[in-house]
Amino acid sequence: MTDIGYVTAGTIRLRANPARDPCFTVVYRDADMHEHAGAGQVARREMVHRHMSNEITSLDIAAQCLAEFPEAPWGLRLELARQCWDESRHVGALHRRLQAMGGRKGEFPISVFEWNITCAIDNLVGRLATQNRTLEAGAMDVVGALRRSVHDAGDEETARVLDMILTDEIQHVRFANRWIKTLAAVDRRALLKVAMAVRFLAETNAAFLPSGPEVNAVGTLLEAPTDRIPPVNIEDRRLAEFSDDEIREILRQAGFRSLEPETPVERPA
Amino acid sequence: MTLLVDERGRRIATFRWIAVRLMETVAGWTPTTPEMEVKQVFGRHIWDFAQHADALGKRTFELRLPEQHSIPPTEPYHNVLTQVAALRGTVERLAGLYDAVLPGLEARYQRYLQLTDAVLDEPSIVIVERILTDLARQRRDADRVRRSLTIAPGDPGELRMTEAAIADVCQVTATAV
Repeated sequence: MTDIGYVTAGTIRLRANPARDPCFTVVYRDADMHEHAGAGQVARREMVHRHMSNEITSLDIAAQCLAEFPEAPWGLRLELARQCWDESRHVGALHRRLQAMGGRKGEFPISVFEWNITCAIDNLVGRLATQNRTLEAGAMDVVGALRRSVHDAGDEETARVLDMILTDEIQHVRFANRWIKTLAAVDRRALLKVAMAVRFLAETNAAFLPSGPEVNAVGTLLEAPTDRIPPVNIEDRRLAEFSDDEIREILRQAGFRSLEPETPVERPA
Repeated sequence: MTLLVDERGRRIATFRWIAVRLMETVAGWTPTTPEMEVKQVFGRHIWDFAQHADALGKRTFELRLPEQHSIPPTEPYHNVLTQVAALRGTVERLAGLYDAVLPGLEARYQRYLQLTDAVLDEPSIVIVERILTDLARQRRDADRVRRSLTIAPGDPGELRMTEAAIADVCQVTATAV
Protein backbone atom coordinates (compact mmCIF):
# COMPACT_ATOMS: atom_id res chain seq x y z
CA MET A 1 0.00 0.00 0.00
CA THR A 2 2.80 2.46 0.86
CA ASP A 3 4.57 2.17 -2.45
CA ILE A 4 6.05 5.64 -2.84
CA GLY A 5 9.82 5.34 -2.61
CA TYR A 6 12.64 7.72 -1.75
CA VAL A 7 15.01 9.92 -3.71
CA THR A 8 18.40 11.22 -2.70
CA ALA A 9 19.40 14.81 -3.29
CA GLY A 10 23.05 15.25 -2.32
CA THR A 11 23.25 13.75 1.16
CA ILE A 12 19.55 14.27 1.88
CA ARG A 13 17.05 11.44 1.55
CA LEU A 14 13.59 12.70 0.55
CA ARG A 15 10.30 10.98 -0.20
CA ALA A 16 9.55 10.65 -3.90
CA ASN A 17 6.63 12.68 -5.24
CA PRO A 18 3.00 11.72 -4.66
CA ALA A 19 0.80 11.22 -7.74
CA ARG A 20 -0.58 14.31 -9.47
CA ASP A 21 -2.87 14.92 -12.44
CA PRO A 22 -0.86 15.10 -15.67
CA CYS A 23 -1.98 18.72 -16.10
CA PHE A 24 0.23 19.78 -13.18
CA THR A 25 3.90 20.68 -13.60
CA VAL A 26 5.81 19.93 -10.41
CA VAL A 27 8.86 22.15 -9.78
CA TYR A 28 11.46 22.09 -7.05
CA ARG A 29 12.65 25.66 -6.58
CA ASP A 30 10.74 28.79 -5.60
CA ALA A 31 12.30 30.46 -8.62
CA ASP A 32 10.46 28.02 -10.91
CA MET A 33 7.07 28.92 -9.43
CA HIS A 34 5.00 31.66 -11.05
CA GLU A 35 4.37 33.84 -8.01
CA HIS A 36 3.54 37.36 -9.12
CA ALA A 37 4.09 40.57 -7.20
CA GLY A 38 1.12 42.58 -5.95
CA ALA A 39 -2.54 41.58 -5.75
CA GLY A 40 -3.59 41.78 -9.41
CA GLN A 41 -5.86 39.22 -11.02
CA VAL A 42 -3.14 36.84 -12.22
CA ALA A 43 -1.27 37.17 -8.91
CA ARG A 44 -4.38 36.26 -6.94
CA ARG A 45 -5.22 33.38 -9.29
CA GLU A 46 -1.72 31.98 -8.93
CA MET A 47 -1.96 32.37 -5.16
CA VAL A 48 -5.26 30.46 -5.05
CA HIS A 49 -3.80 27.77 -7.34
CA ARG A 50 -0.68 27.48 -5.14
CA HIS A 51 -2.75 27.10 -1.97
CA MET A 52 -5.06 24.58 -3.65
CA SER A 53 -1.98 22.55 -4.51
CA ASN A 54 -0.66 22.88 -0.95
CA GLU A 55 -3.97 21.57 0.37
CA ILE A 56 -3.73 18.52 -1.92
CA THR A 57 -0.28 17.92 -0.47
CA SER A 58 -1.56 18.29 3.11
CA LEU A 59 -4.29 15.74 2.32
CA ASP A 60 -1.69 13.34 0.93
CA ILE A 61 0.52 13.77 4.01
CA ALA A 62 -2.27 13.21 6.55
CA ALA A 63 -3.52 10.18 4.61
CA GLN A 64 -0.02 8.73 4.37
CA CYS A 65 0.40 9.11 8.15
CA LEU A 66 -2.80 7.09 8.65
CA ALA A 67 -1.60 4.39 6.27
CA GLU A 68 1.96 4.15 7.58
CA PHE A 69 1.39 4.31 11.34
CA PRO A 70 -1.39 1.83 12.19
CA GLU A 71 -0.07 1.50 15.74
CA ALA A 72 -0.72 5.18 16.56
CA PRO A 73 -3.26 5.90 19.33
CA TRP A 74 -6.82 5.80 18.03
CA GLY A 75 -7.56 9.36 19.16
CA LEU A 76 -4.65 10.67 17.07
CA ARG A 77 -5.72 8.61 14.05
CA LEU A 78 -9.19 10.12 14.33
CA GLU A 79 -7.67 13.62 14.22
CA LEU A 80 -5.65 12.72 11.13
CA ALA A 81 -8.73 11.24 9.46
CA ARG A 82 -10.66 14.43 10.16
CA GLN A 83 -7.75 16.44 8.78
CA CYS A 84 -8.04 14.44 5.53
CA TRP A 85 -11.64 15.57 5.16
CA ASP A 86 -10.79 19.17 6.04
CA GLU A 87 -7.98 19.31 3.49
CA SER A 88 -10.18 17.75 0.80
CA ARG A 89 -12.83 20.41 1.44
CA HIS A 90 -10.14 23.10 1.22
CA VAL A 91 -9.07 21.73 -2.16
CA GLY A 92 -12.70 21.87 -3.31
CA ALA A 93 -13.28 25.41 -2.05
CA LEU A 94 -10.08 26.74 -3.62
CA HIS A 95 -10.73 24.92 -6.90
CA ARG A 96 -14.21 26.43 -7.02
CA ARG A 97 -12.72 29.86 -6.32
CA LEU A 98 -10.01 29.34 -8.96
CA GLN A 99 -12.60 28.48 -11.59
CA ALA A 100 -14.73 31.47 -10.62
CA MET A 101 -11.65 33.65 -11.17
CA GLY A 102 -11.25 32.20 -14.68
CA GLY A 103 -8.45 29.82 -13.75
CA ARG A 104 -7.99 26.06 -14.07
CA LYS A 105 -6.04 23.35 -12.32
CA GLY A 106 -2.58 22.98 -13.82
CA GLU A 107 -2.51 26.61 -14.91
CA PHE A 108 0.65 27.30 -12.87
CA PRO A 109 3.59 25.19 -11.67
CA ILE A 110 3.27 23.58 -8.25
CA SER A 111 5.58 22.27 -5.53
CA VAL A 112 5.21 19.16 -3.35
CA PHE A 113 8.27 19.92 -1.24
CA GLU A 114 6.36 19.65 2.06
CA TRP A 115 5.51 16.04 1.17
CA ASN A 116 9.11 15.33 0.08
CA ILE A 117 10.38 16.45 3.49
CA THR A 118 7.64 15.33 5.88
CA CYS A 119 7.09 11.87 4.49
CA ALA A 120 10.84 11.18 4.52
CA ILE A 121 10.61 11.19 8.33
CA ASP A 122 10.12 7.65 9.65
CA ASN A 123 8.11 8.40 12.79
CA LEU A 124 4.72 9.99 13.38
CA VAL A 125 5.66 12.41 16.15
CA GLY A 126 8.41 13.79 13.90
CA ARG A 127 5.93 14.26 11.06
CA LEU A 128 3.49 16.05 13.36
CA ALA A 129 6.29 18.35 14.50
CA THR A 130 7.28 19.07 10.90
CA GLN A 131 4.04 19.23 8.96
CA ASN A 132 1.43 20.34 11.48
CA ARG A 133 3.37 22.20 14.13
CA THR A 134 5.91 23.90 11.84
CA LEU A 135 4.74 24.04 8.22
CA GLU A 136 0.98 24.36 8.85
CA ALA A 137 1.62 26.79 11.68
CA GLY A 138 3.77 28.79 9.25
CA ALA A 139 0.91 28.61 6.76
CA MET A 140 -1.34 30.16 9.43
CA ASP A 141 0.99 33.16 9.40
CA VAL A 142 1.06 33.30 5.60
CA VAL A 143 -2.69 32.85 5.14
CA GLY A 144 -3.43 35.34 7.91
CA ALA A 145 -1.45 37.98 6.00
CA LEU A 146 -2.89 36.95 2.62
CA ARG A 147 -6.44 37.16 3.90
CA ARG A 148 -5.76 40.77 4.77
CA SER A 149 -4.06 41.63 1.47
CA VAL A 150 -6.79 40.12 -0.74
CA HIS A 151 -9.40 41.86 1.39
CA ASP A 152 -7.53 45.14 0.89
CA ALA A 153 -7.47 44.41 -2.87
CA GLY A 154 -11.28 44.16 -2.80
CA ASP A 155 -11.47 40.38 -3.26
CA GLU A 156 -13.88 39.62 -0.43
CA GLU A 157 -14.75 36.14 -1.67
CA THR A 158 -11.16 34.88 -1.64
CA ALA A 159 -10.64 36.49 1.77
CA ARG A 160 -13.70 34.62 3.07
CA VAL A 161 -12.43 31.28 1.72
CA LEU A 162 -9.00 31.83 3.25
CA ASP A 163 -10.56 32.72 6.60
CA MET A 164 -12.56 29.47 6.68
CA ILE A 165 -9.46 27.46 5.78
CA LEU A 166 -7.43 29.23 8.44
CA THR A 167 -10.00 28.27 11.06
CA ASP A 168 -9.57 24.57 10.24
CA GLU A 169 -5.78 24.84 10.19
CA ILE A 170 -5.81 26.07 13.78
CA GLN A 171 -7.22 22.70 14.85
CA HIS A 172 -4.64 20.81 12.80
CA VAL A 173 -1.85 22.64 14.56
CA ARG A 174 -3.56 22.40 17.95
CA PHE A 175 -4.06 18.64 17.84
CA ALA A 176 -0.41 18.20 16.86
CA ASN A 177 0.71 20.36 19.77
CA ARG A 178 -1.48 18.33 22.14
CA TRP A 179 -0.43 14.94 20.82
CA ILE A 180 3.28 15.79 20.81
CA LYS A 181 2.96 16.62 24.52
CA THR A 182 0.93 13.46 25.17
CA LEU A 183 3.37 11.21 23.32
CA ALA A 184 6.34 12.85 25.05
CA ALA A 185 4.72 12.32 28.44
CA VAL A 186 4.44 8.60 27.68
CA ASP A 187 7.92 8.26 26.19
CA ARG A 188 10.55 11.01 26.52
CA ARG A 189 12.29 9.72 23.39
CA ALA A 190 9.49 11.38 21.44
CA LEU A 191 11.16 14.72 22.20
CA LEU A 192 14.37 13.52 20.61
CA LYS A 193 12.42 12.50 17.51
CA VAL A 194 10.82 15.95 17.41
CA ALA A 195 14.21 17.63 17.69
CA MET A 196 15.67 15.44 14.94
CA ALA A 197 12.69 16.11 12.67
CA VAL A 198 12.94 19.88 13.15
CA ARG A 199 16.67 19.72 12.46
CA PHE A 200 16.05 17.66 9.33
CA LEU A 201 13.57 20.27 8.14
CA ALA A 202 16.03 23.11 8.80
CA GLU A 203 18.91 21.31 7.09
CA THR A 204 16.80 20.41 4.07
CA ASN A 205 15.52 23.96 3.75
CA ALA A 206 19.08 25.27 4.02
CA ALA A 207 20.22 22.89 1.29
CA PHE A 208 17.46 23.78 -1.14
CA LEU A 209 16.71 27.43 -0.52
CA PRO A 210 18.82 30.13 -2.17
CA SER A 211 21.14 32.17 0.02
CA GLY A 212 20.06 35.50 -1.43
CA PRO A 213 17.40 37.22 -3.54
CA GLU A 214 16.49 35.73 -6.91
CA VAL A 215 14.17 36.41 -9.83
CA ASN A 216 11.53 33.77 -10.55
CA ALA A 217 10.24 32.39 -13.85
CA VAL A 218 7.81 35.26 -14.40
CA GLY A 219 10.26 37.99 -13.49
CA THR A 220 9.20 38.58 -9.88
CA LEU A 221 12.02 39.54 -7.56
CA LEU A 222 11.97 37.13 -4.60
CA GLU A 223 13.59 38.36 -1.44
CA ALA A 224 16.17 36.19 0.31
CA PRO A 225 14.42 33.45 2.34
CA THR A 226 15.52 35.08 5.59
CA ASP A 227 13.66 38.24 4.53
CA ARG A 228 10.51 36.40 3.41
CA ILE A 229 9.28 35.44 6.91
CA PRO A 230 5.64 36.57 7.18
CA PRO A 231 4.23 38.53 10.12
CA VAL A 232 3.34 36.20 12.98
CA ASN A 233 -0.34 35.37 13.40
CA ILE A 234 -0.28 35.62 17.18
CA GLU A 235 -4.00 35.28 17.78
CA ASP A 236 -4.36 32.02 15.85
CA ARG A 237 -1.09 30.62 17.21
CA ARG A 238 -2.51 31.16 20.68
CA LEU A 239 -5.69 29.32 19.68
CA ALA A 240 -3.47 26.52 18.37
CA GLU A 241 -1.99 26.35 21.89
CA PHE A 242 1.48 27.65 21.31
CA SER A 243 2.79 28.91 24.63
CA ASP A 244 3.67 32.57 25.13
CA ASP A 245 7.35 31.62 25.26
CA GLU A 246 7.05 29.78 21.94
CA ILE A 247 5.25 32.72 20.33
CA ARG A 248 7.91 35.09 21.63
CA GLU A 249 10.62 32.94 20.04
CA ILE A 250 8.74 32.83 16.73
CA LEU A 251 8.30 36.61 16.90
CA ARG A 252 12.02 37.01 17.48
CA GLN A 253 12.75 34.91 14.38
CA ALA A 254 10.29 37.04 12.38
CA GLY A 255 12.01 40.25 13.45
CA PHE A 256 9.18 40.99 15.89
CA ARG A 257 6.67 41.53 13.10
CA SER A 258 3.14 40.41 13.90
CA LEU A 259 -0.33 40.79 12.39
CA GLU A 260 -1.41 42.51 15.61
CA PRO A 261 1.31 44.90 16.74
CA GLU A 262 -1.11 46.42 19.20
CA THR A 263 -1.26 43.23 21.31
CA PRO A 264 2.29 42.31 22.31
CA VAL A 265 2.89 38.97 23.97
CA GLU A 266 3.09 39.45 27.71
CA ARG A 267 5.47 37.41 29.79
CA PRO A 268 3.44 35.53 32.41
CA ALA A 269 3.82 36.87 35.95
CA MET B 1 -33.53 -16.66 16.59
CA THR B 2 -31.62 -13.60 17.71
CA LEU B 3 -27.96 -12.88 18.38
CA LEU B 4 -26.61 -13.41 21.88
CA VAL B 5 -24.75 -10.57 23.57
CA ASP B 6 -21.42 -12.29 22.99
CA GLU B 7 -22.19 -12.70 19.28
CA ARG B 8 -23.24 -9.08 18.95
CA GLY B 9 -20.00 -7.93 20.55
CA ARG B 10 -17.86 -10.04 18.26
CA ARG B 11 -19.78 -8.95 15.16
CA ILE B 12 -19.59 -5.29 16.06
CA ALA B 13 -15.85 -5.68 16.78
CA THR B 14 -15.42 -7.38 13.40
CA PHE B 15 -17.28 -4.58 11.64
CA ARG B 16 -14.95 -2.17 13.46
CA TRP B 17 -11.89 -4.01 12.15
CA ILE B 18 -13.30 -3.76 8.63
CA ALA B 19 -14.00 -0.01 9.00
CA VAL B 20 -10.43 0.63 10.17
CA ARG B 21 -9.04 -1.44 7.29
CA LEU B 22 -11.16 0.49 4.77
CA MET B 23 -9.95 3.77 6.28
CA GLU B 24 -6.35 2.61 5.91
CA THR B 25 -6.92 1.34 2.39
CA VAL B 26 -8.36 4.61 1.12
CA ALA B 27 -5.71 6.57 3.03
CA GLY B 28 -2.99 4.49 1.38
CA TRP B 29 -4.52 5.09 -2.04
CA THR B 30 -4.79 8.86 -1.67
CA PRO B 31 -1.15 9.88 -2.37
CA THR B 32 -0.82 7.33 -5.18
CA THR B 33 -4.01 8.36 -7.00
CA PRO B 34 -3.32 11.19 -9.45
CA GLU B 35 -6.78 12.71 -9.95
CA MET B 36 -7.37 15.66 -7.62
CA GLU B 37 -11.14 15.15 -7.56
CA VAL B 38 -10.77 11.48 -6.63
CA LYS B 39 -8.38 12.42 -3.82
CA GLN B 40 -11.09 14.78 -2.55
CA VAL B 41 -13.63 11.95 -2.48
CA PHE B 42 -11.13 9.72 -0.68
CA GLY B 43 -10.47 12.45 1.91
CA ARG B 44 -14.15 12.58 2.80
CA HIS B 45 -14.46 8.79 2.94
CA ILE B 46 -11.40 8.36 5.14
CA TRP B 47 -13.23 10.45 7.73
CA ASP B 48 -16.46 8.47 7.19
CA PHE B 49 -14.73 5.14 7.83
CA ALA B 50 -12.92 6.58 10.86
CA GLN B 51 -16.24 7.70 12.32
CA HIS B 52 -17.76 4.28 11.64
CA ALA B 53 -14.88 2.60 13.44
CA ASP B 54 -15.14 5.03 16.33
CA ALA B 55 -18.86 4.55 16.82
CA LEU B 56 -18.57 0.76 16.57
CA GLY B 57 -15.59 0.87 18.95
CA LYS B 58 -17.61 2.72 21.57
CA ARG B 59 -20.32 0.12 21.21
CA THR B 60 -17.90 -2.80 21.79
CA PHE B 61 -17.29 -1.41 25.27
CA GLU B 62 -21.02 -1.54 25.96
CA LEU B 63 -21.03 -5.19 24.90
CA ARG B 64 -18.51 -6.43 27.49
CA LEU B 65 -15.45 -5.93 25.28
CA PRO B 66 -12.66 -3.35 25.58
CA GLU B 67 -13.35 0.09 24.08
CA GLN B 68 -12.31 0.37 20.41
CA HIS B 69 -11.85 -3.39 20.29
CA SER B 70 -11.39 -4.98 16.87
CA ILE B 71 -11.59 -8.60 15.79
CA PRO B 72 -10.17 -9.60 12.39
CA PRO B 73 -12.66 -11.09 9.94
CA THR B 74 -12.52 -14.60 8.54
CA GLU B 75 -9.51 -15.35 6.38
CA PRO B 76 -11.35 -15.32 3.02
CA TYR B 77 -12.80 -11.86 3.74
CA HIS B 78 -9.42 -10.66 5.00
CA ASN B 79 -7.96 -11.82 1.69
CA VAL B 80 -10.58 -9.89 -0.29
CA LEU B 81 -9.73 -6.67 1.56
CA THR B 82 -6.00 -7.30 1.04
CA GLN B 83 -6.62 -7.86 -2.66
CA VAL B 84 -8.61 -4.61 -2.91
CA ALA B 85 -5.98 -2.61 -1.03
CA ALA B 86 -3.37 -3.77 -3.55
CA LEU B 87 -5.32 -2.46 -6.56
CA ARG B 88 -3.32 0.08 -8.58
CA GLY B 89 -5.30 2.09 -11.14
CA THR B 90 -8.03 4.58 -10.30
CA VAL B 91 -10.60 2.67 -12.38
CA GLU B 92 -9.81 -0.58 -10.58
CA ARG B 93 -9.75 1.03 -7.14
CA LEU B 94 -13.11 2.73 -7.59
CA ALA B 95 -14.67 -0.45 -8.94
CA GLY B 96 -13.13 -2.69 -6.28
CA LEU B 97 -14.22 -0.60 -3.33
CA TYR B 98 -17.46 1.02 -4.42
CA ASP B 99 -18.89 -1.67 -6.71
CA ALA B 100 -17.71 -4.82 -4.93
CA VAL B 101 -16.73 -4.33 -1.26
CA LEU B 102 -19.25 -1.70 -0.21
CA PRO B 103 -22.38 -3.36 -1.68
CA GLY B 104 -21.31 -6.58 0.00
CA LEU B 105 -20.68 -4.81 3.29
CA GLU B 106 -24.07 -3.13 3.10
CA ALA B 107 -25.69 -6.55 2.71
CA ARG B 108 -23.80 -7.82 5.76
CA TYR B 109 -24.89 -4.86 7.87
CA GLN B 110 -28.50 -5.41 6.68
CA ARG B 111 -28.25 -9.03 7.71
CA TYR B 112 -27.07 -7.95 11.16
CA LEU B 113 -30.14 -5.72 11.48
CA GLN B 114 -32.36 -8.66 10.62
CA LEU B 115 -30.72 -10.94 13.16
CA THR B 116 -30.40 -8.73 16.18
CA ASP B 117 -33.03 -7.78 18.73
CA ALA B 118 -34.72 -4.56 17.63
CA VAL B 119 -35.26 -3.35 21.18
CA LEU B 120 -32.41 -4.73 23.24
CA ASP B 121 -29.71 -4.00 20.64
CA GLU B 122 -31.15 -0.70 19.45
CA PRO B 123 -27.90 1.20 20.20
CA SER B 124 -26.12 -1.03 17.65
CA ILE B 125 -28.98 -0.63 15.21
CA VAL B 126 -28.76 3.16 15.33
CA ILE B 127 -25.02 3.00 14.57
CA VAL B 128 -25.46 0.50 11.74
CA GLU B 129 -28.28 2.48 10.15
CA ARG B 130 -26.12 5.62 10.13
CA ILE B 131 -23.29 3.64 8.56
CA LEU B 132 -25.63 2.31 5.88
CA THR B 133 -26.67 5.86 5.01
CA ASP B 134 -23.00 6.82 4.65
CA LEU B 135 -22.12 3.79 2.54
CA ALA B 136 -24.92 4.58 0.09
CA ARG B 137 -23.70 8.19 -0.14
CA GLN B 138 -20.13 7.05 -0.66
CA ARG B 139 -21.21 4.95 -3.64
CA ARG B 140 -23.06 7.95 -5.06
CA ASP B 141 -19.92 10.08 -4.52
CA ALA B 142 -17.87 7.55 -6.47
CA ASP B 143 -20.40 7.49 -9.30
CA ARG B 144 -20.44 11.28 -9.42
CA VAL B 145 -16.66 11.64 -9.64
CA ARG B 146 -16.50 8.96 -12.32
CA ARG B 147 -19.09 10.83 -14.35
CA SER B 148 -17.44 14.22 -13.89
CA LEU B 149 -14.00 12.93 -14.91
CA THR B 150 -15.40 10.46 -17.46
CA ILE B 151 -13.63 7.60 -15.72
CA ALA B 152 -14.76 4.36 -17.26
CA PRO B 153 -16.53 1.97 -14.91
CA GLY B 154 -14.28 -0.93 -13.97
CA ASP B 155 -15.23 -4.56 -13.89
CA PRO B 156 -15.65 -5.65 -10.29
CA GLY B 157 -17.32 -8.91 -11.31
CA GLU B 158 -14.75 -11.36 -10.01
CA LEU B 159 -14.17 -9.47 -6.77
CA ARG B 160 -17.90 -9.16 -6.21
CA MET B 161 -18.43 -12.87 -6.72
CA THR B 162 -15.55 -13.74 -4.39
CA GLU B 163 -16.92 -11.40 -1.76
CA ALA B 164 -20.47 -12.68 -2.12
CA ALA B 165 -19.33 -16.28 -1.83
CA ILE B 166 -18.00 -15.66 1.68
CA ALA B 167 -20.73 -16.83 4.00
CA ASP B 168 -19.51 -15.06 7.10
CA VAL B 169 -17.04 -12.29 7.92
CA CYS B 170 -17.14 -13.05 11.64
CA GLN B 171 -14.95 -15.78 13.07
CA VAL B 172 -16.52 -18.62 15.10
CA THR B 173 -20.17 -17.67 15.08
CA ALA B 174 -23.32 -19.65 14.73
CA THR B 175 -25.24 -17.18 12.54
CA ALA B 176 -23.95 -16.04 9.16
CA VAL B 177 -23.70 -12.29 8.50
